Amino acid sequence: MSMRKTIEVITKLAERGTFKSYALAGAVAALNYIEPTLTQDLDILISVADFEKHKSGLILLAPIEKALKEMGYADRSDVGFIIEGWPVQFLPVASPLDEEALEKAIELEIDTDVGPLLKARCLRAEHLVAIAIKVGRLKDLARVQAFLEQKAVDLSVLKEILLRHGLMDKWLSFCLKAGIENPL
Amino acid sequence: MSDDQARYPDISDILACKAAGRVRNASLSFAAKLAILDALRERARPFVEARKIRAVGRVGKGAERAVPT
Repeated sequence: MSMRKTIEVITKLAERGTFKSYALAGAVAALNYIEPTLTQDLDILISVADFEKHKSGLILLAPIEKALKEMGYADRSDVGFIIEGWPVQFLPVASPLDEEALEKAIELEIDTDVGPLLKARCLRAEHLVAIAIKVGRLKDLARVQAFLEQKAVDLSVLKEILLRHGLMDKWLSFCLKAGIENPL
Repeated sequence: MSDDQARYPDISDILACKAAGRVRNASLSFAAKLAILDALRERARPFVEARKIRAVGRVGKGAERAVPT
């Protein structure tokens, strides 16, 4: 059971064509830029087109569930699918910000002990920060502070994203809560 | 000694070391960070399990209270 293996399964799902576009999101994506912090699950951002839509408008995970079952991962928890011991949540794109973040995701090359590098798509630092500002829970804001303290974000790119998606008020509110001067 | 006369040690060097450590950890490879994440999860597992048990206990007590008398 390891997060690397979990990510490997996600890349295999993409190779099988289960979804067209995906990217690591949330705390695991943040790992690429800041120091490791504890998390209990893996968030995968995925395009809406990859979800099955029910007549009622509900979005269904049936194709992903079917593919995972075929690969031997049939367990679910209240948090998501269990893949290699880690709960995984597939989150549909739910805003223009998500859509832009998914489109501009980068490709990570992850070292493996055996075999070739594992390639996985991951959200950019600036989009992770903008999404955290938008969601606005205390743990999201703490992550934003870590990005700033560890100089892991391009402030000019972040400013453009925040302006483009109408998040400047939320940004200023974060600066107030964090007791910092607006660095943008 | 009154509060305004109390002297406390300067811990700015400790805080600076901690900040430097965070920056050092941030510069590790993604694969190394994934391994740390797995290890952190294992270390936190007993606490997470205990929290779940406490939560179940709270729900149970709530249910007892909800039973009409």
